[in-house]
Amino acid sequence: MTSKDDESIFGDPGDALRLIERERGNTMRHVTPDPRLMYWPWGLTWLISFGLSFLRFGPDGRTLVAMPAWVPMTALTALLIAAGIFTGIVGARSSRDIAGRSSRQGLMYGISWSAGFTSLAVIFGRVSDSMPEPLLGLLWGGGMVALVGVLYMAGSAIWVERDMFVLGAWISVVNVIGVLWGPGWHALVLAVAGGGGLLVAGLVGWLRRR
Amino acid sequence: MTAIDGDLPELDPVIHAQARLRVVAALSQLDGGDRIAFPRLQEILRMTAGNLSVHLRKLEEAGYVEVTKTHRGRTPATLVHLTNRGRFAFEEYVNALRTLIQPGEETS
Repeated sequence: MTSKDDESIFGDPGDALRLIERERGNTMRHVTPDPRLMYWPWGLTWLISFGLSFLRFGPDGRTLVAMPAWVPMTALTALLIAAGIFTGIVGARSSRDIAGRSSRQGLMYGISWSAGFTSLAVIFGRVSDSMPEPLLGLLWGGGMVALVGVLYMAGSAIWVERDMFVLGAWISVVNVIGVLWGPGWHALVLAVAGGGGLLVAGLVGWLRRR
Repeated sequence: MTAIDGDLPELDPVIHAQARLRVVAALSQLDGGDRIAFPRLQEILRMTAGNLSVHLRKLEEAGYVEVTKTHRGRTPATLVHLTNRGRFAFEEYVNALRTLIQPGEETS
């Protein structure tokens, strides 16, 4: 059942090139997730939970806004789980019914994240008891965020995405600056520069693929 | 490369048809090591199953795509894949189009 239109050729080579561009763009939007949906949940998670952490455990041990001590950590855990589930579903939806190299790459990359976080959680949990309170936040926050920065940079090498490399490098740099600045300030840096960086990455990625 | 009139490149007749060009362009966007399920490709291209089958068969005859039947659990699945030959033919086709638009200019 081939209609005449299907077999039609193009009078103008430019029409053919435009059709190719349109079809490639359309396919790309189908098989890769919307960058906003992949980055914004993490950006909001960092903005909110590190923001709460800064307000509760501010610089020099000050409490800028009174709230129970468990609130920032609980918010962080809950939001991380929610963002993880959400982005997992969005990512799986876009790569569904496509088998082969890219799904193996995605799987291995996903396992790398889990392995990295599990390792650090075990190590940090083991040494946490013997650490002074103010340094605990730096250890957990700084360590985990260092891992995030490195994994984004490594991901950029897999998918050859320059923007993802810039994001990973940015996160790595602001994290180190925050750690050197000290407890309290670190949380502020992660909330504003880290969370902001993730929000910008989602926006830039979305603008590029429109 | 300088092309003079009459020296213009031939366009691959297998690809140079609107529907098949769309199929090949879409498949070229996937990773070379990936296979896509027929219904998903149909959804992306917004083509009827019958229409897509016809064009895939022509592309398969030319060795440009590989269609494999497999099973996912109990349900049969048809997976489509652009071969190296198909990818190369598509690149040649795009280069030929560019040369037609701007004869004599280097294309990248």
